[in-house]
Formats: sequence, C-alpha cells, structure tokens
Amino acid sequence: MASAALDHMISLIIFMAAIMIFIGLFSNTMQTGLAYERHNALSTKTSDLLDTILLNPGLPDNWGQSDTSVVGLGLQDPDFNQYKLSSSACMRLASSTQTPIYYPRTASYYSNVTGGFGGYMLASNAKCLNSSTASKLLGINGTYGFQLTLSPTITVSITKISSGQPAQFTVSAVGTGYPLANAPFSYSLVQVKQDANSIPSYTVTNGVGVVDSIGSAQLSFPINGENQVYALIVYTYLDGLKGIGYYLQNPQSSTKNVVPLIDSFQNRNVTLVHSDSVGQPSASPSYSLLSYNASFVILTEEYTLRQVALDQPSAFGSVYNSGSGQNFSSITLPDSDGILIVTCKGTAGQYGLVLMSWGLGSLAFPLTFGGNPAGQEWVTTDLRQVTIGGIAYQAKLELWNLAYTGSG
Amino acid sequence: MIRTIEVLFVIIIISGAFIAVSFFTVLPPPSQVSPINLRRLSFTTLQTLDSSYDLSKAAFTDDDPVLWGNLQVALSASLPPNVIYNLTVYDVNSADGQVYNFSKSMSNAQSLGITNDASTYAVASSNVSFNFTPEKIGAQGNGGTLYILNCSDANGWWITGYTAQSLAQDLYNQLSPYFVNTVMVQNTSQLGQILNGTPLQGENVQNAVVINTYGEAVPIPSAYCKAPYSTDSYACYSYYLGQRVNLYNWTWSSIVGYPFYYVSNTATFSGAQNSWGIYGMQMTGQGGSRGFLEGLNNQAYASNTNAITDSASRQVTLTQNVAGLCNYYGIYPSTYQTATRALSNSTLAGYNLKVGLNIFNPSGDYLAGAIYNHYAAGSSNISGSLLALGLTRTPDVRVTGLSLLSYYQPRLYASEYTAEGTSRVVILQLGLLGSG
Repeated sequence: MASAALDHMISLIIFMAAIMIFIGLFSNTMQTGLAYERHNALSTKTSDLLDTILLNPGLPDNWGQSDTSVVGLGLQDPDFNQYKLSSSACMRLASSTQTPIYYPRTASYYSNVTGGFGGYMLASNAKCLNSSTASKLLGINGTYGFQLTLSPTITVSITKISSGQPAQFTVSAVGTGYPLANAPFSYSLVQVKQDANSIPSYTVTNGVGVVDSIGSAQLSFPINGENQVYALIVYTYLDGLKGIGYYLQNPQSSTKNVVPLIDSFQNRNVTLVHSDSVGQPSASPSYSLLSYNASFVILTEEYTLRQVALDQPSAFGSVYNSGSGQNFSSITLPDSDGILIVTCKGTAGQYGLVLMSWGLGSLAFPLTFGGNPAGQEWVTTDLRQVTIGGIAYQAKLELWNLAYTGSG
Repeated sequence: MIRTIEVLFVIIIISGAFIAVSFFTVLPPPSQVSPINLRRLSFTTLQTLDSSYDLSKAAFTDDDPVLWGNLQVALSASLPPNVIYNLTVYDVNSADGQVYNFSKSMSNAQSLGITNDASTYAVASSNVSFNFTPEKIGAQGNGGTLYILNCSDANGWWITGYTAQSLAQDLYNQLSPYFVNTVMVQNTSQLGQILNGTPLQGENVQNAVVINTYGEAVPIPSAYCKAPYSTDSYACYSYYLGQRVNLYNWTWSSIVGYPFYYVSNTATFSGAQNSWGIYGMQMTGQGGSRGFLEGLNNQAYASNTNAITDSASRQVTLTQNVAGLCNYYGIYPSTYQTATRALSNSTLAGYNLKVGLNIFNPSGDYLAGAIYNHYAAGSSNISGSLLALGLTRTPDVRVTGLSLLSYYQPRLYASEYTAEGTSRVVILQLGLLGSG
C-alpha cells in the first residue's frame, strides 16, 4: 500500500514537472510564432504606408508650394502619376538628422538640408512639416514610428586632385550597387569674375564627357584651383538614371559669405543674410559688408544651365551684419525648380559663392525625415525607385511598432 | 512503480509531440519575415529605366550590345548591392500560335535565391502608334464621369497588401479610357465637394460612377464627422451617401467585403481604431449598409443592424455574359472567386432594388457580385445603383473594372492593325542575396 502511494506521488511529481517544462517550451515556440506574425504584419504595413506617401499628392495637393498647414501627407507630384515626387513637397519636410540653423534677427530656426560644403537648403521650420505632425496625418501617431529617407540613386562626387593651375578634378558616378560605367555627363563651371566691380558677376563654361568603366573621369580647367572662386556642377545620365553633384571652392581666407534662408514656399521668398548674423549664439557683431549678386538657373533638357532673370532690384545689393543699415535682403524666385547662385564680395576684396537648391532634386540633396529607429525592437524597411525633379532617388521607409519599443 | 513508468511513457510521447511540432514550426529567416517588397521595387525600377524610353529602345533592339550594356549598367547601379536580378524581354506576337516569345534576357546571378518576386512592364515600339478608340460611357447623354476615391486622409480595410492609392491607380489605368472624365478624389474634402454636387474639374456630377477603393471602409469628410451623420456609429453618414447616390443617380462601387462597414478619416479619428488596430477609422457595423439602402430608397432613416450578408464561404464563378466579355475588354480575372460577404437577394428586394447585372452566378439566395439598380415605386427610371462585390479579401480590382464595363458595355473601335512584333513585355525578377 505504501509502495503504491509512493509510486503515485513520485509519478505525479514527475508528471507535473514534465508538464511545467513542456508548457515553458511550447510557450517559447508560440511566442516566437506570434513575434513572426507581428513582424510580418509590420512589413506589410511598411509597404502600404510607403505607397500611401508616394502615390498621392497630399492635401492640399499643392501643399509644397504653399505655406499653409498640411492636412494630408503625400509626396506625389500632382501633375504626374506613379512614383514621380513633388520636388517642392519634399522641400517642406523638416530634416531630422541635420541640426537646424538659428537666425537671431527673427528668432527662427531653419531646417538644414545640404549635400555638402557651400550648398544650402535652409527652410523655415515654421513652414516645414515635422515628423510628429506627419505621424498624425498618416494615422500612425502613437502606434508606429517611421523614418523616410530620400537618397539620390546616383552619387556624383567631385574631387580636386591638383593644386594651382590648371585645376584638375576627378568625377565619379556611382549607383547604389554599381558604378555608372560609360555614362555620359555634362558639366558647368561657374566661375566668379574677380575684377574691380563691386558687385561680382560670373561666367559659365559648359562641356560634356563620358566616365570610364569604373564610373570615373577627369576634368581640367585653366584656372587656379585655390585662388579662384568657382563651382563645378556635373550631371550624369544613363537609361533614365540621372544624377547630379557639385564641388564648390571658396578661398580659405574668405570666412564671410551670404546665406540664403527660405522664408516662404508660397511666395518663393528667400532672405539673403550675412553669414555672421546666422547661428546661435550670434557671431561677431563687428561691421562687415558683403555685396552680392543673386541669379537663378534651371537645368535644360540638354543638361546645361540656363539662367532665368530675377527682374527685381534686390537681385543685386549688399548685406551687413550690424545694428543699423540693411542687414538682410529678400528676393523672389521663379516658379520652377533650379539653383540659386549667389556670388559675393567683401570690402577687403574677398569673394564668396553659394548654391541654394530650390526643389530637393535640383542639387540631389538627400533628406531624412521622421524618427530615429535606433533601439527599436524590430524595424522593417521597404524601398521604391522614384524621381524627384527628374533626378533618380530611392525612397526608403523604416517602420517600427511603438508598442514594442526596446530590445526584446 | 507502474505509474512512474506510465508517466515516463507520457513524457516520451509529449517529447515526441514537441519535437514534431518544432520540426514543422521552423520559422523562416528574417529576410522572409520582413521582406522588402521586391515586386514594387522591380516595377519602380522598370519605370525609372524607361523614364527616358531607353528601356523601350533596348527591348526592341536585341542585337545592340551598347544599348544592352547601358541597360545592364543602369540596372546594376540602381539596385542595392544585395539584390540580384533577371531581366527578360518577350515579344508579344501570336503569329506562330504562341503569344509570348522569348527575345532576350540578362542576369547577374545563376539563381535568385528563395526570396524573389517579379513585375512586368509592357513597352511599345516607337515605330508604331496604337489607335485604340473606346466608346465613352455617358458621352451620348448626361454623365460620363468616373470618380475614384484616392483620399490621402483615409485608411482602407480588407484591402490588405494593397493601398487605396495603388488600387486607385490601377483602376485609373484600366477604366479612364472608357469615361469622358476620370477624376481622382484626392482627399475627403474633395469627396465632400462632390457630395454637395460641386464638380472638382468641371466634370458632370450627375450619373457618375464612384469607386470606393477603401474596401469595407468609406472615407468621410471631417465636416461630416458630427451629428446627425455620426448617429448609430455613422450609419447615418451611409444613409446620407445613399441619398446622394439616389439624387445624382450615381453607381456606387464597393470593391470587396461588407459595404459601408467602417468610416475613415485619419485626422478626425486619429485616436480611434476599427477594433482591429487600424487607426483613423471607426466601425459602423452592419447598420452602415442598411443605412445606405434606406437612403438610396429615399425612405426615412431607421436604425437597422440586421445583416444583409452572411459569412459563409462560397466558391462562385463569373456569369457566362461577364466571362464572355473578358476577351472583349482584355481583362482576365480568375473565373473562380471566393465570396464570404455575398449579399442576400431577398433582403435587398425590400429596398426597391433590381439586379441590373449579375457578375457571378447566384449561390442560392446570395449574390456574390451584382449591380443593383434602384427604381422608385411606380417609376421605370433608375435612381442610383450599387455595385456590391462581396468577395473575400484581398480585392482584385480587375473584377471591379470588368463588372462596370460589362454593365455599361462601351464599344471598342479598334483601328485596323496588322503589324507584328510591336509590343514587348519586360519582366524584371529580383531576388535577395543571402536569403537562403
């Protein structure tokens, strides 16, 4: 009798222990399965959301060309269909990776999008769309976090490989997966005239070439690569893939320049300010004068730059950084994508040159918009090929579920 | 002792069960759990490559190594390094009895791994201009407008795997040649305008066809997110829609599932969800369809949450009439479909509705897809119609397109066209490296 009871007890204990172990094991398998379902659903959501953003123009459909608040988020160019994005709508997205620029005169911050030295796209934060608002417009506020990245498919990089005269450059055209071998390219050398005129003008030299099998080519110009102020802009194109890159040379001795700030998308107003008057804390208030010459160019179908007249008195003038006098100037840009070229000259004869992209694709600036996926439990990614202002871009959306934040 | 042995046997059996279950529940690799949508990537890549018609040129010039070399470089440059591809061109030519004839192919890998997908892209020779002239629906009368709901501020339901925008684009491509005006309704505000009878682009609002691409959800303008439209979980909004369909003699098209089951506005309902985790949406329930039918019948609104469908899964087939028109319009959805929201015919009869066209053969009292015409009592004139496709998700918008074309039956005036080999189909298949 005692033996049977002992047998009963031992068997029961073993059985219970085994059941507990197996519950744990099955629970583990089930949790993994549930996680799989959750992650799979997130992937579908990512694809849906990316198409939602890219395949509708938003509300109002011309919101990229207005200063009003956005009611529906969409980046499609309202004049086209499929994956052609509006250059201006992309401009209104506030960059989430680059530090905003502060302008003390108006106590305003400007979203900072740039593709490198001397190239600007500083748009008033008050007029830009931030990621928090975008989440609400997309209906994912509080449920999903996202990061949208628009990167040019073709990276055109220009490197100066000489000193003195002649100025020699290596142009490299590389896609996301492979060099753009044997692709034709065109270039424009924008050279500031460093003469006695107080308001500096510039000349444009155009040319064409072909990169080699590794997507590389060399260019040479009979100018002094260090003393001259110039910008070299290169377009490359092959089978629908178009890319653009630039190299800008300002003398090291020149620390003053003009900074263009986008103040209105609707009226296409750009405020030109002295570089010393931008930043926080404000830079040296010492007297300084810069005479400038602002002009606007667009890219033609032959891949050359064509100047569009800025018929307004403020296209020429001067900006100061002082308590009195004209410390800023405002210009209005034409109603098309292009590049604002501003040349300037200081009282001591220093020259400067800046480029401002009007439209995200005009200088192929990359843009990152949205939250930070670092530290999220599971981030899904989806990708589309798009064009912005004719330039090939890749739109990548990263999405994560906010309900499962943290490592898990 | 015997019990202990029995328990050990039980443990062995459970262990065996666990091992067997573990064997069959092997989870896929991460690349398959959250894959990149290779189909869309492939399609957008082809679109980019053809943005200057270079892809079309190469597709018609098999023997030009320079063009194909450039195409290969551009293709390689535009895809991420971990994506491998196979691009194949087929000549569309029925001369020898085979429609698609292999023309040329190129690839950068021997195999495409286990994760791959493809999309197709049709290109036409620059030497040929196709002259395809369809009759415009409504061109002879008062109508001819197609509204496609493409609202950026609304979410869809039961369109899983698609977005309303992609469906809208497909429908636009498919149906716009057959209508005098095709208008994409880009937001709920524009929807509110047409509900008020205000044209968006100078089009004729009367007698229009409205396609709701949001599945079981219906976009609702913010201005309507209040009483009395919000009554009975917005069933009154559906009632209002029914009244408008009656007033303007619209044909309202529901592409999938239970019509009017949810309302959606991502701004107004940003904190609300449809009970399935989709925010920007509110569940109306079964009263939505009833409300719509009451409005369509121009009767007083009365809350009624009785179902007009059941949930039985039915295998249905296209009617002979509709199947015969597949060839005429060149739209080929599967003849066999599954319906889980087929509408009860006898229920609908109470709202003065008559079946204008059966899309699918009836399954008893239930119609998986039909166009219902409303006739006011004593009248022989149609005052509003409803296309209800009670198919299960996900939707095939070819069925919607074919249904509308089969109903209106616009004629096609094709030019005499005998040239061979003027169309080619490019298939780009993409795979992920290291996915195996």
